Amino acid sequence: MADDDKQMKQEAAPEPPDVGPGQVQRRLMRLPLRSIILWLLSITLLVGVVWGSWKTLDKGTFTTSDWQSFIVDGVARGSVYALIAMGYTLVYGILFMINFAHGEVFMSGTFTAYFMARWMDQTGFLNSQPIVAIGVLLLVSMVVSTTVAVALERVAYRPLRGAPRLVPLITAIGASLFLQNSFRGFYGAQATAYPQIDILRGAWEFLGWRFQRTEVVAIVGAFLLMAGLYWFIKKTRTGRSMRAVGEDKETSALMGIDVDRTIVSTFAIGGLLAGAAGILFIFLFNQVKFDMGFIPGIKAFTAAVLGGIGNVAGAGIGGLLLGVFEAVGPFLLLEGFNVPSPNQLQLIIAFGILVLVLIFRPGGLLGSTEGDRA
Amino acid sequence: MSTRALAGRASVMTADGRTGSTRSTVTVGMIGGLVAVYFMVVGMVEKFDARGIIAGVIGLSFTLLAITAAGTGYMAARSRERAGMATGLASAASAGALAGAVAGALSAVTILAVDLIGEEHVRTMFQSFTPRLIEGILSFGRTVGFGAMVLFAAGVSLGVLGALLQQTAPRMRRAILTGLGTLLVISMAEPFLTQVFRNVTDNFGIPISRDWLYERSGMTVLGAILMFALGFAFSWWRSTRAQRATVSPPAGERSADAAGMRSIRGLVRGRAGKMIGFLAVLGLLILVPRIVGPFLSQVVVIIGIYVLLGLGLNIVVGFAGLLDLGYVAFFAVGAYAVAVFTSPASYLAAEGATTGVLNFWVALPIVVVMAIVAGLMIGAPVLRLRGDYLAIVTLGFGEIARVLIASNWLSEYLGGAQGILRIPPPAPEEWSLRRPQNLYFIVLAFVLIAVFVSTRLKDSRVGRAWAAMREDESVAEAMGVSVINYKLLAFGIGAGVGSLGGAIFAIQVGSVFPNSFDLLVSINALSVIVLGGLGSIPGVVVGALALVGLPELLREFQEFRLLIYGAVLVALMILRPEGLLPEVRRKRELHERAIEEEQYEEQVGQEGLPPVIETGPEERRE
Amino acid sequence: MRLLEVENLVKHFGGVAAVDGVDFHADEKEIVSVIGPNGAGKTTLFNVVTGFFEPDSGKMEFEKLSLVGLKPNRVTKLGIARTFQQIRLFPNLTVLENAMVGQHCRTKAGPFGAIIRPPWAVREEREIADRAREVLGFFGDRLLPMQDTMAFELSYADRRRLEIARAMATMPKLLLLDEPTAGMNPVEKHGLVELIGRLRAERGYTVVLIEHDMPVVKNVSDRVVAIDHGKVIAQGTYDEVSSDPQVIEAYLGKQKATGQQI
Repeated sequence: MADDDKQMKQEAAPEPPDVGPGQVQRRLMRLPLRSIILWLLSITLLVGVVWGSWKTLDKGTFTTSDWQSFIVDGVARGSVYALIAMGYTLVYGILFMINFAHGEVFMSGTFTAYFMARWMDQTGFLNSQPIVAIGVLLLVSMVVSTTVAVALERVAYRPLRGAPRLVPLITAIGASLFLQNSFRGFYGAQATAYPQIDILRGAWEFLGWRFQRTEVVAIVGAFLLMAGLYWFIKKTRTGRSMRAVGEDKETSALMGIDVDRTIVSTFAIGGLLAGAAGILFIFLFNQVKFDMGFIPGIKAFTAAVLGGIGNVAGAGIGGLLLGVFEAVGPFLLLEGFNVPSPNQLQLIIAFGILVLVLIFRPGGLLGSTEGDRA
Repeated sequence: MSTRALAGRASVMTADGRTGSTRSTVTVGMIGGLVAVYFMVVGMVEKFDARGIIAGVIGLSFTLLAITAAGTGYMAARSRERAGMATGLASAASAGALAGAVAGALSAVTILAVDLIGEEHVRTMFQSFTPRLIEGILSFGRTVGFGAMVLFAAGVSLGVLGALLQQTAPRMRRAILTGLGTLLVISMAEPFLTQVFRNVTDNFGIPISRDWLYERSGMTVLGAILMFALGFAFSWWRSTRAQRATVSPPAGERSADAAGMRSIRGLVRGRAGKMIGFLAVLGLLILVPRIVGPFLSQVVVIIGIYVLLGLGLNIVVGFAGLLDLGYVAFFAVGAYAVAVFTSPASYLAAEGATTGVLNFWVALPIVVVMAIVAGLMIGAPVLRLRGDYLAIVTLGFGEIARVLIASNWLSEYLGGAQGILRIPPPAPEEWSLRRPQNLYFIVLAFVLIAVFVSTRLKDSRVGRAWAAMREDESVAEAMGVSVINYKLLAFGIGAGVGSLGGAIFAIQVGSVFPNSFDLLVSINALSVIVLGGLGSIPGVVVGALALVGLPELLREFQEFRLLIYGAVLVALMILRPEGLLPEVRRKRELHERAIEEEQYEEQVGQEGLPPVIETGPEERRE
Repeated sequence: MRLLEVENLVKHFGGVAAVDGVDFHADEKEIVSVIGPNGAGKTTLFNVVTGFFEPDSGKMEFEKLSLVGLKPNRVTKLGIARTFQQIRLFPNLTVLENAMVGQHCRTKAGPFGAIIRPPWAVREEREIADRAREVLGFFGDRLLPMQDTMAFELSYADRRRLEIARAMATMPKLLLLDEPTAGMNPVEKHGLVELIGRLRAERGYTVVLIEHDMPVVKNVSDRVVAIDHGKVIAQGTYDEVSSDPQVIEAYLGKQKATGQQI
């Protein structure tokens, strides 16, 4: 039955039919109007992108080192997005729900760790033992984020397994609002800056490219964590269980896999990664506020979809790509058209990519774990 | 039995009954304690202290804590019962006492710890631990130690009370809870009722004084008792009626109606009754501005706007089953289009003009058409996406709209961050249509139109097509329903209705700024219809009243509004996803699983094969 | 008169040919059974004919009109209606409403008709209900008295009937029934055989059914087509096909395992 309906829901891939010319003509005629409009739109977009880029480069507002710094910035923030995106994609891969509140998971650890950072700064520990201090911050953030993620699953999501799609989505939205505002109640509504860590000031030169130290830490840290995740999923039992449950929950249970525990582990790992991502995020952007999770959350989700939702490697690649698009895009595309303050439109780039991917290639770049197309 | 019931049992059952039950009671107590501490940390206990519930007796803060403690006791007794442990007053009471003690202890320890560490230090992180909270409120005016003891003692005693409540017969329990709830609601509604009483006295000459009900800081004791009695009696009366109905078995759901319909007298009564009811409601609606007064009329207008938004979104989400999280985009189109067309400050108007390019009433149809076109354009590429994806894409569009509106790039046309000002009230000027009491009638008219359109659509071939689409898209397509066209239809109509809401909003405020058009509007609209019950038209009104009206009235709680909102959404989805006034069929849709399982058990005995129920395509995944 | 003509139809899924050069036809007022082991491609054949999938190659014609590339709703409009192997009713609609949806392809009231309710729309709505009731009435007093019950509350056999009723409401010429007797007990199966006969006799439908139950096939069919691995392996009367060596071989394992007499 499942195959039958799955197949029913797929539109047949347009394989070139080896039929007579009459049939081909019929096919062309029945191309729906919508398709044509979509194609026109995408061609316009492509032309716009190419033309805008050409005009910008021609205009020469930015030097090579400017572009370099944009790109590095993009890779750095992309790495952070990738870490958060993995949380989304892991949860989606196993429960087929979008954990709307994941941005708040990210925020909770980061915001809590801020107080640690401030205390360490006041006692001078932050700058006398920076490596240890950063380790402590990472730990605190990861612990808090994981706790929130696990609590979220237990309280808000577990009772709703098997409910129609709309229900967990609304729950997630509600949880997101609740968490955001709870932390606002706890810690206050103002935006605060993390204390500066001296050894992270400044930049390194490498092969003629200039890397801010913070960017290096972010990129390296993210990659290490992603590598760790990869190992975890491929090599450990829990990782295998996660993959199995994602494929077929019932059969996994029959094979003796504790489905509940696997799901909790998934959320926990997502929380760990988000907590770590938070600290790296701070190195790049420095500010904490109770609503800091929303936009990175959306961007990370876009990255996950871009790479193929449910696909962990895809989340990584999607994150990096999104980061670079976001950092380079507004300047590259829009400056040429004399659009003022192009970086205001950064969010549109992220959402624009999201919308385009979902329309043209919902399976993402690396293909989604779902057999279905959206 | 449903998996939820099983899970509930499993979590409490252990091999060794006795220690298991103690552990679970302690767990319940800890959760209760954490909840109480949460209320302290998040700032509710302090902020709510300003509001009294019963003057001179208890304020909102302690009501909150008391409910938490009693609730803890209640849950402890309940989980004991569920686990099949020994019941009986003594055992339940002891469970309640234990759980309450744990909760109370946690709270007590918390304030002691804060005092020990020094509350200025704690406050650098958790800003809610102000001196007022620790030394004022929670110390009950004396020392912190005293406060800790009171918290503990209150925990125990209220825990016992809660447990005892759980043990009472359901009828009595429901009556007590209703009575208490009524008391609480009426008390909190003080600002609203005060206004209403005053207006009724002034405008209708019916002298109602508030003094018997309220004092300066809360309800009078007399009023409290009366309200409790009222709620209690009402609940008692209802459960008596329900009992009597079950005694004489109903001869099938529909046969009562059918029998009534068959007799001509019944027909007339049914029809005429409906007419009269409708006219009565209409009359009441017309009187509303005079009843609630000028200030509250503002609130009513806002509620009306959200009813409008809810009705529009209801068509998209409730009828056609499309998850739309970007509804604010159409709201924005309506508002900004009205601004651009009618404001002398917009780019369309000539320099130094005193009036806009178009009159509001002339602009309105153009605005609606623009919104519908926008809806079709947005919908065309995305409407074949599945559930979650559609939701996120529409969210993206909503955010794109907001960013574009606020951008410097388009600020020449749309005003950027400064927005567009000086939107005039709709003609004719003599009617002062911007005044809330008068604007109300425009809103009312639009709402009635939207209700009319919705109702007509639902009970028609179109409505059936939508329902079929919701259930099973492929099969609906096979039956001749052009799914994509019907989706676009829903989206377009929804967009048009949404733009009406935006138009009113622009008039009401007199200006439009990008900040007003963020994701929260979409979430509000969605929550309104979810709370009321998806697809249910009266539910939209109830939802709007609850989610939009209440927060406006309970101004003190502005700070916690979104928090409570979020919690309510989560609780709603877990406990009652079909909403407050669901259509019968929707309730079944959402509890289909439970019904499926019941039926399976029935049928297996009968036929030896599981009946196959096709649920909608969305439920394909678990 | 030849109603449905399928020639050399091919449909691949991935690397597998589910339908591999099938020749099939149905003449007016015929009752044809399609048999074959599971996975033989029978339901895929239905899916392709009714437009759920596009064929890779081959010819499909209904009353001389090509079906290739037509979407399901167009196919239904032409006069082909189907039921599904796993019953796919609209569970949260009433029995009557399920049947009324079947009328969708034959009616045209849109949003304006719904909102303004001009006389023609009101009349059309009434006709939809009347025709739906008429179709329900075909099943005696099984479905009509239950017209206001929710579809998911029906018993299994009634659900099958409702699905057929809904298909009938589309006013088809050709009915494709996918395993209509699955899950029924012998008494119910017998009832269904009678029903299919009446469908042809009283309504003039042409019926093609996929069936596994051989006695049913024997009782109901004018002609039997056996399919295996996406190809037609035998065709003719029941006796001819059931004694065809290829058919027996395709079922051999089954026959041995279940001891079922073909």
